[in-house]
Amino acid sequence: MPPYTRTALIIVIAAVGAARELGLVAIPLPQNARQIPQEVLRFRLRQGTLQFGFELGTGVRTYVSASTPYVLALGLLLSHQALLPTVLAGTAFGAGRALSAALTLWSRDPDRGATIAARMTWIKNVTATTILAALAALAALLIA
Amino acid sequence: MTRGRRARAAFTDPLLAVAALALLAVAAAALQATVLCWASVGALAGFALSGSV
Repeated sequence: MPPYTRTALIIVIAAVGAARELGLVAIPLPQNARQIPQEVLRFRLRQGTLQFGFELGTGVRTYVSASTPYVLALGLLLSHQALLPTVLAGTAFGAGRALSAALTLWSRDPDRGATIAARMTWIKNVTATTILAALAALAALLIA
Repeated sequence: MTRGRRARAAFTDPLLAVAALALLAVAAAALQATVLCWASVGALAGFALSGSV
């Protein structure tokens, strides 16, 4: 596939992801929508922690509530990034996932769940539209 | 609410993290820093799953 076509596809995918978050289109996300059972952490803590992190991080057994992880995965696939940028983006994905839990820990707020629930629509809208804007700007500047 | 608790609540507000990551992603794109831009997009995508288990 020619580079321009791949770039255009990335922008289209990011635009569809943003449109989905804004409620303009209804697209079901492919996912294994179920929680990791508590037994994973109950018996073997070290192995269970690794398994929990793997299953949560890769989405093998978790709820994927936003379209942006798919935009990221397809974008990296289509942009033919080298190994290092791809690993860095994946690591940043994990860090972003962990940041949410870290902020919850640091907040010491017993009503944190309600705070996140109240912000969730904003978080998903802003992340999806920012990703579209950033990738479109990057593509435009690199092509120019 | 005490001043310390208010500061902690503001510092750990999810919207602050999203704003910082969004600014980083757009700035990286404007600077044509491709690797940093993809990494910022990765962090935003990960953070978008806040509350997802």
